[in-house]
Amino acid sequence: MNQYIPLQAEIVDIDIESPNTYLISLALLNDSAEFHYKPGQFVMVSVFGLGECPISITSTPTRGIFQLCIRRAGKITNGIMDSRVGDILGIRGPCGNGFPLEDMKKDIVIAGGGSGFATLRSLINYIVDRREEFGKVAVAYGARTRRDLYFMQEYKGWQQAGIDVGITVDIGDESWKGNVGLVTSIIDQFELKPGSAAICGPPVMINAVADKLMKRGFDHSDIYVSMERHMKCGLGKCEHCMIGPYHACLDGPVFSYDKVKSVI
Amino acid sequence: MIALLPKENLIPLLIRLGEKMEVIAPVAKGEGPDPVFVTWRGQALALDKSPLIPPIEFLLPQKEVLFRYVQESGSYTFEETPPKTRLVFGMRPCDLQAMAVLDKIFGSEPKDGAYFGKRRWTTLIALNCTSPGEDCFCSQLGSGPEASNGFDLLLTELGDGYLAEIGSPAGMLILRDCSDLLKEADEAHFSEKHRLLESAKGSLDLQAGQGRSLRQMRQAIKDADWEALGKHCLSCGGCTFVCPICHCFNILDLGVPDGERIRCRDSCILSGFSRMAGGANPRRSPGERMRNWYLDKFEYIPKKTGFAGCVGCGRCSRTCLAEIDRFTLEAKR
Repeated sequence: MNQYIPLQAEIVDIDIESPNTYLISLALLNDSAEFHYKPGQFVMVSVFGLGECPISITSTPTRGIFQLCIRRAGKITNGIMDSRVGDILGIRGPCGNGFPLEDMKKDIVIAGGGSGFATLRSLINYIVDRREEFGKVAVAYGARTRRDLYFMQEYKGWQQAGIDVGITVDIGDESWKGNVGLVTSIIDQFELKPGSAAICGPPVMINAVADKLMKRGFDHSDIYVSMERHMKCGLGKCEHCMIGPYHACLDGPVFSYDKVKSVI
Repeated sequence: MIALLPKENLIPLLIRLGEKMEVIAPVAKGEGPDPVFVTWRGQALALDKSPLIPPIEFLLPQKEVLFRYVQESGSYTFEETPPKTRLVFGMRPCDLQAMAVLDKIFGSEPKDGAYFGKRRWTTLIALNCTSPGEDCFCSQLGSGPEASNGFDLLLTELGDGYLAEIGSPAGMLILRDCSDLLKEADEAHFSEKHRLLESAKGSLDLQAGQGRSLRQMRQAIKDADWEALGKHCLSCGGCTFVCPICHCFNILDLGVPDGERIRCRDSCILSGFSRMAGGANPRRSPGERMRNWYLDKFEYIPKKTGFAGCVGCGRCSRTCLAEIDRFTLEAKR
Protein backbone atom coordinates (compact mmCIF):
# COMPACT_ATOMS: atom_id res chain seq x y z
CA MET A 1 0.00 0.00 0.00
CA ASN A 2 1.30 3.45 -0.88
CA GLN A 3 0.43 5.75 2.03
CA TYR A 4 1.43 8.75 -0.03
CA ILE A 5 -1.55 8.51 -2.37
CA PRO A 6 -4.19 10.93 -1.07
CA LEU A 7 -7.97 10.80 -0.94
CA GLN A 8 -9.72 13.38 -3.09
CA ALA A 9 -12.05 16.07 -1.81
CA GLU A 10 -14.16 18.58 -3.69
CA ILE A 11 -14.37 22.17 -2.51
CA VAL A 12 -18.09 22.70 -1.85
CA ASP A 13 -18.02 26.12 -0.20
CA ILE A 14 -15.64 29.00 0.43
CA ASP A 15 -16.26 31.64 3.13
CA ILE A 16 -14.06 34.67 3.64
CA GLU A 17 -12.99 34.88 7.29
CA SER A 18 -10.54 37.75 6.96
CA PRO A 19 -8.81 39.43 4.00
CA ASN A 20 -6.15 36.72 3.88
CA THR A 21 -8.04 33.79 5.38
CA TYR A 22 -10.73 31.56 3.87
CA LEU A 23 -12.90 28.90 5.49
CA ILE A 24 -13.08 26.05 2.97
CA SER A 25 -15.69 23.28 3.19
CA LEU A 26 -14.80 19.98 1.56
CA ALA A 27 -16.64 16.81 0.57
CA LEU A 28 -14.61 13.63 0.17
CA LEU A 29 -15.14 11.91 -3.19
CA ASN A 30 -14.25 8.46 -1.94
CA ASP A 31 -17.56 7.55 -0.29
CA SER A 32 -16.21 4.33 1.13
CA ALA A 33 -13.24 6.05 2.70
CA GLU A 34 -12.99 5.77 6.46
CA PHE A 35 -12.43 9.35 7.51
CA HIS A 36 -13.07 10.00 11.19
CA TYR A 37 -11.29 12.81 12.93
CA LYS A 38 -10.92 14.28 16.41
CA PRO A 39 -10.59 17.93 17.42
CA GLY A 40 -6.92 18.91 17.16
CA GLN A 41 -6.01 16.58 14.30
CA PHE A 42 -4.77 17.79 10.93
CA VAL A 43 -4.66 16.63 7.31
CA MET A 44 -2.00 16.80 4.60
CA VAL A 45 -3.61 18.86 1.84
CA SER A 46 -2.46 18.58 -1.79
CA VAL A 47 -2.82 21.01 -4.61
CA PHE A 48 -1.56 18.77 -7.40
CA GLY A 49 1.33 20.46 -9.13
CA LEU A 50 2.18 22.67 -6.16
CA GLY A 51 2.62 20.07 -3.43
CA GLU A 52 1.30 19.12 -0.03
CA CYS A 53 1.24 20.81 3.38
CA PRO A 54 -0.27 20.19 6.84
CA ILE A 55 -3.49 22.06 7.69
CA SER A 56 -5.42 21.63 10.92
CA ILE A 57 -9.06 20.61 10.74
CA THR A 58 -11.24 23.47 11.93
CA SER A 59 -14.64 21.78 11.90
CA THR A 60 -15.98 19.46 14.59
CA PRO A 61 -16.67 15.79 13.87
CA THR A 62 -20.01 16.17 15.70
CA ARG A 63 -21.49 18.10 12.75
CA GLY A 64 -20.67 15.76 9.86
CA ILE A 65 -18.75 18.43 8.00
CA PHE A 66 -15.13 18.85 7.03
CA GLN A 67 -13.66 22.36 6.98
CA LEU A 68 -10.20 23.83 6.74
CA CYS A 69 -9.22 27.37 7.58
CA ILE A 70 -6.54 28.55 5.17
CA ARG A 71 -4.37 31.63 5.59
CA ARG A 72 -2.14 32.84 2.76
CA ALA A 73 1.33 31.91 4.00
CA GLY A 74 3.20 30.11 1.23
CA LYS A 75 3.04 28.41 -2.14
CA ILE A 76 0.47 25.73 -1.31
CA THR A 77 -1.86 27.83 0.83
CA ASN A 78 -1.86 30.37 -2.01
CA GLY A 79 -2.78 27.52 -4.36
CA ILE A 80 -5.65 26.41 -2.10
CA MET A 81 -6.99 29.98 -1.83
CA ASP A 82 -6.83 30.44 -5.58
CA SER A 83 -9.00 27.31 -6.04
CA ARG A 84 -12.71 27.58 -6.72
CA VAL A 85 -15.82 25.70 -5.64
CA GLY A 86 -15.80 22.40 -7.54
CA ASP A 87 -11.99 22.08 -7.62
CA ILE A 88 -10.34 18.97 -6.24
CA LEU A 89 -7.80 18.88 -3.41
CA GLY A 90 -5.87 15.83 -2.19
CA ILE A 91 -6.32 14.86 1.46
CA ARG A 92 -4.19 12.47 3.53
CA GLY A 93 -5.11 11.76 7.10
CA PRO A 94 -6.47 12.56 9.55
CA CYS A 95 -2.97 12.80 11.04
CA GLY A 96 -1.70 13.34 14.55
CA ASN A 97 -3.17 12.72 17.97
CA GLY A 98 -5.69 15.53 18.52
CA PHE A 99 -6.68 16.84 21.94
CA PRO A 100 -6.78 14.02 24.53
CA LEU A 101 -10.41 14.63 25.53
CA GLU A 102 -10.44 11.45 27.60
CA ASP A 103 -7.51 12.70 29.74
CA MET A 104 -8.63 16.32 29.98
CA LYS A 105 -10.45 17.71 32.97
CA LYS A 106 -14.02 18.90 32.53
CA ASP A 107 -13.18 22.56 33.19
CA ILE A 108 -11.26 23.82 30.18
CA VAL A 109 -9.59 27.09 29.24
CA ILE A 110 -9.01 27.52 25.52
CA ALA A 111 -6.51 30.16 24.45
CA GLY A 112 -5.70 31.01 20.84
CA GLY A 113 -3.51 33.54 19.13
CA GLY A 114 -3.74 34.49 15.46
CA SER A 115 -4.23 31.65 12.98
CA GLY A 116 -3.61 29.16 15.81
CA PHE A 117 -7.27 29.69 16.66
CA ALA A 118 -8.32 27.57 13.65
CA THR A 119 -7.59 24.24 15.32
CA LEU A 120 -9.22 25.41 18.59
CA ARG A 121 -12.53 26.12 16.83
CA SER A 122 -12.83 22.37 16.28
CA LEU A 123 -12.54 21.80 20.03
CA ILE A 124 -14.87 24.69 20.95
CA ASN A 125 -17.67 23.54 18.65
CA TYR A 126 -17.17 19.96 19.82
CA ILE A 127 -17.71 21.18 23.39
CA VAL A 128 -20.77 23.22 22.31
CA ASP A 129 -22.32 20.07 20.76
CA ARG A 130 -21.56 17.93 23.83
CA ARG A 131 -21.96 20.65 26.41
CA GLU A 132 -23.26 18.32 29.13
CA GLU A 133 -19.94 16.40 29.14
CA PHE A 134 -17.95 19.50 30.11
CA GLY A 135 -17.88 21.90 33.05
CA LYS A 136 -16.79 25.52 33.08
CA VAL A 137 -15.33 26.45 29.70
CA ALA A 138 -13.64 29.73 28.80
CA VAL A 139 -12.24 30.89 25.45
CA ALA A 140 -9.59 33.61 25.15
CA TYR A 141 -8.66 34.67 21.64
CA GLY A 142 -6.43 37.40 20.32
CA ALA A 143 -5.66 38.60 16.80
CA ARG A 144 -3.66 41.48 15.37
CA THR A 145 -6.60 43.70 14.39
CA ARG A 146 -10.39 43.45 14.23
CA ARG A 147 -10.12 42.48 10.55
CA ASP A 148 -7.91 39.50 11.46
CA LEU A 149 -10.43 37.91 13.84
CA TYR A 150 -11.80 34.54 12.66
CA PHE A 151 -15.28 33.05 13.17
CA MET A 152 -16.84 36.30 14.49
CA GLN A 153 -20.36 35.14 13.71
CA GLU A 154 -19.93 32.15 16.05
CA TYR A 155 -18.97 33.91 19.32
CA LYS A 156 -22.57 34.60 20.29
CA GLY A 157 -23.50 30.92 19.89
CA TRP A 158 -20.62 29.90 22.12
CA GLN A 159 -21.76 32.36 24.81
CA GLN A 160 -25.31 31.03 24.54
CA ALA A 161 -23.89 27.59 25.23
CA GLY A 162 -22.54 28.92 28.53
CA ILE A 163 -18.95 29.43 27.43
CA ASP A 164 -17.06 32.54 28.60
CA VAL A 165 -15.68 34.21 25.50
CA GLY A 166 -13.05 36.94 25.69
CA ILE A 167 -11.68 38.52 22.52
CA THR A 168 -8.80 40.94 22.20
CA VAL A 169 -6.81 42.64 19.44
CA ASP A 170 -3.23 43.94 19.43
CA ILE A 171 -4.07 47.12 17.56
CA GLY A 172 -7.46 48.73 18.16
CA ASP A 173 -9.27 51.28 15.99
CA GLU A 174 -12.49 53.30 16.18
CA SER A 175 -14.57 50.37 14.86
CA TRP A 176 -13.38 48.13 17.73
CA LYS A 177 -15.15 48.54 21.08
CA GLY A 178 -13.62 45.51 22.79
CA ASN A 179 -10.33 44.70 24.55
CA VAL A 180 -6.99 45.83 23.24
CA GLY A 181 -4.01 43.88 24.58
CA LEU A 182 -2.54 40.42 24.95
CA VAL A 183 -4.46 37.17 25.35
CA THR A 184 -3.08 36.95 28.88
CA SER A 185 -5.04 40.09 29.78
CA ILE A 186 -8.23 38.19 28.87
CA ILE A 187 -7.18 35.23 31.02
CA ASP A 188 -6.82 37.70 33.93
CA GLN A 189 -10.49 38.60 33.54
CA PHE A 190 -11.73 35.02 33.78
CA GLU A 191 -12.82 33.43 37.02
CA LEU A 192 -10.97 30.13 36.81
CA LYS A 193 -10.46 27.05 38.87
CA PRO A 194 -7.55 24.82 37.90
CA GLY A 195 -8.55 22.39 35.14
CA SER A 196 -7.17 21.65 31.69
CA ALA A 197 -6.09 24.10 29.01
CA ALA A 198 -5.76 23.98 25.23
CA ILE A 199 -3.44 26.54 23.66
CA CYS A 200 -2.40 27.25 20.09
CA GLY A 201 -0.59 30.31 18.82
CA PRO A 202 2.82 31.92 18.44
CA PRO A 203 5.50 30.53 20.83
CA VAL A 204 5.70 33.74 22.90
CA MET A 205 1.94 33.68 23.43
CA ILE A 206 1.95 29.97 24.37
CA ASN A 207 4.61 30.51 27.04
CA ALA A 208 2.92 33.62 28.43
CA VAL A 209 -0.49 31.91 28.69
CA ALA A 210 0.98 28.72 30.18
CA ASP A 211 2.90 30.75 32.78
CA LYS A 212 -0.21 32.65 33.73
CA LEU A 213 -2.26 29.45 34.06
CA MET A 214 0.41 27.71 36.14
CA LYS A 215 0.47 30.71 38.48
CA ARG A 216 -3.28 30.21 38.87
CA GLY A 217 -2.85 26.61 39.91
CA PHE A 218 -2.94 24.68 36.63
CA ASP A 219 -0.57 21.71 36.48
CA HIS A 220 1.85 21.85 33.52
CA SER A 221 0.77 18.35 32.48
CA ASP A 222 -2.86 19.58 32.19
CA ILE A 223 -1.91 22.31 29.74
CA TYR A 224 -2.10 21.02 26.16
CA VAL A 225 -0.33 22.86 23.41
CA SER A 226 -0.87 22.37 19.67
CA MET A 227 2.52 22.80 17.99
CA GLU A 228 3.19 24.06 14.48
CA ARG A 229 6.03 22.46 12.53
CA HIS A 230 7.14 22.10 8.93
CA MET A 231 5.98 18.67 7.71
CA LYS A 232 6.34 16.58 4.60
CA CYS A 233 5.33 12.95 5.11
CA GLY A 234 2.90 12.95 8.04
CA LEU A 235 4.15 9.42 8.84
CA GLY A 236 7.04 10.21 11.19
CA LYS A 237 9.70 9.35 8.62
CA CYS A 238 10.90 12.53 6.89
CA GLU A 239 12.14 14.11 10.15
CA HIS A 240 11.06 17.66 9.28
CA CYS A 241 8.74 18.00 12.29
CA MET A 242 11.09 16.67 14.98
CA ILE A 243 10.61 18.22 18.40
CA GLY A 244 13.33 16.58 20.48
CA PRO A 245 12.51 12.86 20.51
CA TYR A 246 8.97 13.46 19.22
CA HIS A 247 7.49 13.80 15.77
CA ALA A 248 4.84 16.53 15.71
CA CYS A 249 2.97 14.58 13.00
CA LEU A 250 2.63 11.36 15.02
CA ASP A 251 3.21 12.11 18.71
CA GLY A 252 1.61 15.56 18.30
CA PRO A 253 0.64 18.09 17.18
CA VAL A 254 -0.89 18.28 20.67
CA PHE A 255 1.61 17.90 23.52
CA SER A 256 1.28 18.47 27.23
CA TYR A 257 3.27 21.56 28.15
CA ASP A 258 5.71 19.69 30.42
CA LYS A 259 6.94 17.66 27.42
CA VAL A 260 7.69 20.55 25.08
CA LYS A 261 8.18 23.70 27.15
CA SER A 262 11.96 23.59 26.71
CA VAL A 263 11.64 23.81 22.92
CA ILE A 264 8.81 26.35 22.50
CA MET B 1 24.87 -24.92 3.52
CA ILE B 2 28.26 -23.24 3.52
CA ALA B 3 30.40 -23.18 0.41
CA LEU B 4 33.50 -21.73 -1.14
CA LEU B 5 33.11 -19.58 -4.22
CA PRO B 6 36.44 -19.63 -6.12
CA LYS B 7 37.49 -16.10 -7.10
CA GLU B 8 37.23 -16.79 -10.82
CA ASN B 9 33.58 -17.83 -10.34
CA LEU B 10 32.40 -14.56 -8.77
CA ILE B 11 31.72 -12.85 -12.11
CA PRO B 12 29.91 -15.90 -13.57
CA LEU B 13 27.75 -15.96 -10.40
CA LEU B 14 26.80 -12.30 -10.83
CA ILE B 15 26.11 -12.80 -14.55
CA ARG B 16 23.78 -15.67 -13.73
CA LEU B 17 21.95 -13.65 -11.05
CA GLY B 18 21.83 -10.70 -13.44
CA GLU B 19 19.67 -12.74 -15.79
CA LYS B 20 16.91 -12.69 -13.16
CA MET B 21 17.31 -9.30 -11.52
CA GLU B 22 19.08 -5.96 -11.62
CA VAL B 23 22.50 -6.35 -9.99
CA ILE B 24 23.88 -3.39 -8.02
CA ALA B 25 27.61 -3.66 -7.32
CA PRO B 26 30.55 -1.39 -6.41
CA VAL B 27 32.78 -0.42 -9.34
CA ALA B 28 35.58 2.12 -9.80
CA LYS B 29 34.35 5.33 -11.37
CA GLY B 30 36.56 7.71 -13.32
CA GLU B 31 39.58 9.03 -11.49
CA GLY B 32 37.72 9.30 -8.16
CA PRO B 33 39.24 7.55 -5.14
CA ASP B 34 36.00 5.88 -4.10
CA PRO B 35 34.09 3.03 -5.70
CA VAL B 36 30.39 3.61 -6.38
CA PHE B 37 27.39 1.30 -6.35
CA VAL B 38 25.94 1.17 -9.87
CA THR B 39 23.78 -1.11 -11.97
CA TRP B 40 26.35 -3.74 -12.86
CA ARG B 41 26.83 -4.54 -16.53
CA GLY B 42 30.03 -6.52 -16.37
CA GLN B 43 32.39 -3.74 -15.21
CA ALA B 44 35.42 -4.63 -13.06
CA LEU B 45 34.36 -4.83 -9.41
CA ALA B 46 36.00 -2.59 -6.80
CA LEU B 47 35.73 -4.49 -3.53
CA ASP B 48 38.80 -3.30 -1.64
CA LYS B 49 37.19 -0.17 -0.20
CA SER B 50 33.69 0.71 1.01
CA PRO B 51 31.95 3.14 -1.40
CA LEU B 52 31.48 6.69 -0.12
CA ILE B 53 27.82 6.77 -1.13
CA PRO B 54 26.04 4.02 0.83
CA PRO B 55 23.79 1.51 -0.97
CA ILE B 56 20.63 2.85 0.71
CA GLU B 57 20.66 5.03 -2.40
CA PHE B 58 18.73 2.12 -3.97
CA LEU B 59 16.01 2.12 -1.31
CA LEU B 60 15.81 5.85 -0.72
CA PRO B 61 17.24 7.40 -3.88
CA GLN B 62 18.20 11.04 -4.32
CA LYS B 63 14.99 11.29 -6.32
CA GLU B 64 12.13 8.84 -6.77
CA VAL B 65 8.56 8.99 -8.03
CA LEU B 66 6.00 8.23 -5.30
CA PHE B 67 3.14 8.23 -7.81
CA ARG B 68 1.89 9.94 -10.96
CA TYR B 69 -1.25 12.08 -10.82
CA VAL B 70 -3.35 12.31 -13.93
CA GLN B 71 -6.29 14.67 -14.19
CA GLU B 72 -9.42 13.28 -15.79
CA SER B 73 -12.60 15.38 -15.99
CA GLY B 74 -11.82 17.31 -12.80
CA SER B 75 -10.71 14.52 -10.47
CA TYR B 76 -7.46 12.56 -10.46
CA THR B 77 -6.24 9.04 -11.01
CA PHE B 78 -2.99 7.89 -9.46
CA GLU B 79 -0.45 5.58 -11.07
CA GLU B 80 2.39 3.74 -9.37
CA THR B 81 5.47 2.14 -10.88
CA PRO B 82 6.03 -1.46 -9.74
CA PRO B 83 9.40 -1.96 -7.97
CA LYS B 84 12.32 -3.76 -9.64
CA THR B 85 13.72 -7.05 -8.41
CA ARG B 86 17.22 -6.19 -7.27
CA LEU B 87 20.38 -7.68 -5.88
CA VAL B 88 22.76 -5.45 -3.95
CA PHE B 89 26.18 -7.10 -4.02
CA GLY B 90 29.17 -6.21 -1.87
CA MET B 91 27.66 -4.11 0.91
CA ARG B 92 29.70 -4.03 4.12
CA PRO B 93 28.46 -5.07 7.57
CA CYS B 94 28.15 -1.40 8.60
CA ASP B 95 25.76 -0.68 5.71
CA LEU B 96 23.87 -3.87 6.45
CA GLN B 97 23.39 -2.74 10.04
CA ALA B 98 22.30 0.69 8.75
CA MET B 99 19.69 -1.00 6.58
CA ALA B 100 18.39 -2.88 9.63
CA VAL B 101 17.95 0.48 11.40
CA LEU B 102 16.17 1.96 8.36
CA ASP B 103 13.90 -1.10 8.19
CA LYS B 104 12.90 -0.40 11.80
CA ILE B 105 12.34 3.32 11.20
CA PHE B 106 10.37 2.90 7.97
CA GLY B 107 8.66 -0.21 9.35
CA SER B 108 7.31 1.38 12.51
CA GLU B 109 3.60 2.23 12.29
CA PRO B 110 2.48 3.82 10.05
CA LYS B 111 4.70 1.80 7.70
CA ASP B 112 6.22 3.51 4.69
CA GLY B 113 4.90 1.51 1.72
CA ALA B 114 7.11 3.34 -0.78
CA TYR B 115 10.24 2.16 1.07
CA PHE B 116 9.09 -1.41 1.59
CA GLY B 117 7.88 -1.68 -2.00
CA LYS B 118 11.58 -1.57 -2.92
CA ARG B 119 12.96 -3.30 0.17
CA ARG B 120 10.81 -6.39 -0.26
CA TRP B 121 12.28 -7.02 -3.73
CA THR B 122 15.90 -6.46 -2.72
CA THR B 123 18.30 -9.37 -2.14
CA LEU B 124 21.47 -8.63 -0.20
CA ILE B 125 24.86 -10.30 -0.71
CA ALA B 126 27.09 -8.76 1.94
CA LEU B 127 30.86 -8.81 2.16
CA ASN B 128 32.63 -9.09 5.53
CA CYS B 129 35.14 -6.34 6.08
CA THR B 130 38.67 -7.75 6.13
CA SER B 131 40.32 -4.41 5.31
CA PRO B 132 38.54 -1.58 7.19
CA GLY B 133 39.11 2.02 6.12
CA GLU B 134 41.18 4.39 8.21
CA ASP B 135 38.15 6.47 9.33
CA CYS B 136 36.15 3.41 10.41
CA PHE B 137 35.17 2.75 14.01
CA CYS B 138 32.41 0.18 13.50
CA SER B 139 33.76 -2.16 16.20
CA GLN B 140 32.98 0.55 18.79
CA LEU B 141 29.32 0.47 17.78
CA GLY B 142 29.06 -3.25 17.22
CA SER B 143 28.21 -3.01 13.53
CA GLY B 144 31.37 -4.54 12.06
CA PRO B 145 33.73 -5.76 10.77
CA GLU B 146 31.72 -9.00 10.76
CA ALA B 147 28.05 -9.24 9.80
CA SER B 148 25.91 -11.48 11.98
CA ASN B 149 22.49 -11.15 10.34
CA GLY B 150 20.35 -9.14 7.93
CA PHE B 151 21.97 -10.59 4.78
CA ASP B 152 20.66 -13.16 2.35
CA LEU B 153 24.18 -14.33 1.60
CA LEU B 154 27.42 -13.34 3.33
CA LEU B 155 30.81 -13.58 1.65
CA THR B 156 34.23 -13.37 3.28
CA GLU B 157 37.21 -12.93 1.00
CA LEU B 158 39.85 -15.60 1.69
CA GLY B 159 43.10 -16.34 -0.12
CA ASP B 160 41.61 -18.63 -2.76
CA GLY B 161 37.95 -17.61 -2.86
CA TYR B 162 34.93 -16.32 -0.99
CA LEU B 163 33.47 -18.23 1.91
CA ALA B 164 29.68 -18.07 1.36
CA GLU B 165 27.27 -18.31 4.31
CA ILE B 166 23.48 -18.37 4.07
CA GLY B 167 21.32 -15.89 5.96
CA SER B 168 17.88 -16.49 4.45
CA PRO B 169 15.86 -18.77 2.12
CA ALA B 170 16.68 -16.37 -0.74
CA GLY B 171 20.38 -16.89 -0.04
CA MET B 172 19.90 -20.66 0.00
CA LEU B 173 18.21 -20.51 -3.40
CA ILE B 174 21.13 -18.57 -4.85
CA LEU B 175 23.61 -21.20 -3.68
CA ARG B 176 21.39 -24.01 -4.93
CA ASP B 177 20.98 -22.45 -8.36
CA CYS B 178 24.72 -21.79 -8.63
CA SER B 179 25.98 -25.01 -7.03
CA ASP B 180 28.06 -25.78 -10.14
CA LEU B 181 30.13 -22.65 -9.42
CA LEU B 182 30.85 -23.63 -5.82
CA LYS B 183 33.27 -25.84 -3.96
CA GLU B 184 32.89 -27.40 -0.58
CA ALA B 185 34.25 -25.37 2.33
CA ASP B 186 36.21 -27.00 5.16
CA GLU B 187 37.48 -26.21 8.67
CA ALA B 188 40.61 -24.53 7.30
CA HIS B 189 38.45 -21.96 5.47
CA PHE B 190 36.63 -21.13 8.67
CA SER B 191 39.78 -20.65 10.68
CA GLU B 192 41.13 -18.43 7.89
CA LYS B 193 37.94 -16.32 8.03
CA HIS B 194 38.23 -16.11 11.80
CA ARG B 195 41.90 -15.06 11.60
CA LEU B 196 41.24 -12.36 8.99
CA LEU B 197 38.33 -10.84 10.91
CA GLU B 198 40.28 -10.91 14.19
CA SER B 199 43.07 -8.99 12.49
CA ALA B 200 40.52 -6.49 11.09
CA LYS B 201 39.09 -6.05 14.58
CA GLY B 202 42.59 -5.48 15.92
CA SER B 203 43.32 -2.70 13.46
CA LEU B 204 39.90 -1.13 14.11
CA ASP B 205 40.50 -1.17 17.86
CA LEU B 206 43.86 0.50 17.31
CA GLN B 207 42.47 3.34 15.21
CA ALA B 208 39.46 3.71 17.49
CA GLY B 209 41.80 4.04 20.47
CA GLN B 210 41.01 7.73 20.71
CA GLY B 211 37.33 7.05 20.00
CA ARG B 212 34.39 6.57 22.31
CA SER B 213 31.82 4.07 23.38
CA LEU B 214 28.13 4.87 22.92
CA ARG B 215 27.93 5.92 26.57
CA GLN B 216 30.93 8.22 26.28
CA MET B 217 29.47 9.64 23.09
CA ARG B 218 26.26 10.58 24.91
CA GLN B 219 28.23 12.34 27.59
CA ALA B 220 30.25 14.19 24.93
CA ILE B 221 26.98 15.39 23.35
CA LYS B 222 25.86 16.74 26.71
CA ASP B 223 29.20 18.50 27.29
CA ALA B 224 29.80 19.86 23.79
CA ASP B 225 29.73 23.58 23.09
CA TRP B 226 27.35 23.40 20.16
CA GLU B 227 27.38 27.06 19.27
CA ALA B 228 31.20 26.94 19.03
CA LEU B 229 31.09 23.79 16.87
CA GLY B 230 28.31 25.35 14.82
CA LYS B 231 30.64 28.20 13.92
CA HIS B 232 32.81 25.65 12.08
CA CYS B 233 29.86 23.87 10.39
CA LEU B 234 29.17 25.14 6.87
CA SER B 235 25.60 23.69 6.88
CA CYS B 236 26.36 21.95 3.59
CA GLY B 237 24.61 18.72 4.59
CA GLY B 238 27.46 16.60 3.18
CA CYS B 239 27.63 14.45 6.32
CA THR B 240 23.96 13.57 6.00
CA PHE B 241 24.06 12.69 2.32
CA VAL B 242 26.82 10.09 2.83
CA CYS B 243 25.40 8.69 6.09
CA PRO B 244 23.87 5.22 5.60
CA ILE B 245 21.21 5.94 8.26
CA CYS B 246 20.30 9.57 7.47
CA HIS B 247 16.97 9.43 5.69
CA CYS B 248 15.44 12.93 5.84
CA PHE B 249 13.43 13.59 2.73
CA ASN B 250 11.34 16.19 1.00
CA ILE B 251 8.21 15.66 -1.12
CA LEU B 252 7.34 17.86 -4.07
CA ASP B 253 5.25 17.92 -7.23
CA LEU B 254 6.50 18.20 -10.78
CA GLY B 255 3.98 18.95 -13.52
CA VAL B 256 0.57 20.55 -14.06
CA PRO B 257 -2.14 19.33 -14.60
CA ASP B 258 -0.59 15.85 -14.83
CA GLY B 259 2.71 15.11 -13.20
CA GLU B 260 4.71 13.25 -10.61
CA ARG B 261 4.88 13.50 -6.86
CA ILE B 262 8.60 13.16 -6.12
CA ARG B 263 10.41 12.17 -2.97
CA CYS B 264 13.98 13.46 -2.78
CA ARG B 265 16.65 13.40 -0.09
CA ASP B 266 16.81 16.33 2.29
CA SER B 267 19.04 17.14 5.25
CA CYS B 268 18.34 18.36 8.79
CA ILE B 269 21.68 20.20 8.64
CA LEU B 270 20.41 22.57 5.90
CA SER B 271 19.28 25.95 7.22
CA GLY B 272 15.75 25.86 5.80
CA PHE B 273 14.94 22.28 6.80
CA SER B 274 12.47 23.09 9.57
CA ARG B 275 11.48 26.58 8.44
CA MET B 276 7.71 27.04 8.19
CA ALA B 277 5.71 28.97 5.61
CA GLY B 278 5.34 31.95 7.95
CA GLY B 279 9.14 32.15 8.31
CA ALA B 280 9.46 30.79 11.87
CA ASN B 281 12.36 28.33 12.20
CA PRO B 282 12.75 26.22 15.35
CA ARG B 283 16.42 25.37 14.60
CA ARG B 284 18.01 28.53 13.30
CA SER B 285 21.68 28.12 14.13
CA PRO B 286 24.09 25.52 12.68
CA GLY B 287 24.95 24.52 16.26
CA GLU B 288 21.31 23.74 17.10
CA ARG B 289 21.01 21.67 13.93
CA MET B 290 24.23 19.73 14.65
CA ARG B 291 23.08 19.03 18.18
CA ASN B 292 19.77 17.72 16.87
CA TRP B 293 21.64 15.47 14.39
CA TYR B 294 23.73 13.96 17.19
CA LEU B 295 20.83 13.58 19.59
CA ASP B 296 18.83 11.78 16.89
CA LYS B 297 21.68 9.36 16.23
CA PHE B 298 22.72 8.64 19.79
CA GLU B 299 19.50 9.19 21.82
CA TYR B 300 16.29 9.20 19.78
CA ILE B 301 17.00 6.46 17.21
CA PRO B 302 18.39 4.08 19.88
CA LYS B 303 15.22 4.67 21.93
CA LYS B 304 13.01 3.92 18.91
CA THR B 305 14.87 1.05 17.26
CA GLY B 306 17.18 -0.43 19.86
CA PHE B 307 20.17 0.37 17.62
CA ALA B 308 22.45 3.40 17.50
CA GLY B 309 21.76 5.78 14.64
CA CYS B 310 25.46 5.58 13.75
CA VAL B 311 27.30 2.51 12.45
CA GLY B 312 30.80 3.94 12.66
CA CYS B 313 31.52 3.97 8.92
CA GLY B 314 33.36 7.29 9.24
CA ARG B 315 31.91 8.68 6.00
CA CYS B 316 30.70 11.90 7.69
CA SER B 317 34.18 12.77 8.97
CA ARG B 318 35.72 12.01 5.57
CA THR B 319 33.19 14.24 3.84
CA CYS B 320 33.04 17.18 6.26
CA LEU B 321 34.27 20.28 4.43
CA ALA B 322 34.90 22.01 7.76
CA GLU B 323 37.05 19.02 8.81
CA ILE B 324 35.05 18.39 11.98
CA ASP B 325 35.83 14.90 13.27
CA ARG B 326 32.26 13.79 13.72
CA PHE B 327 33.13 11.14 16.29
CA THR B 328 35.53 13.01 18.57
CA LEU B 329 33.62 16.29 18.02
CA GLU B 330 36.85 18.10 17.30
CA ALA B 331 37.17 20.82 14.71
CA LYS B 332 40.52 20.20 13.06
CA ARG B 333 40.77 23.64 11.52
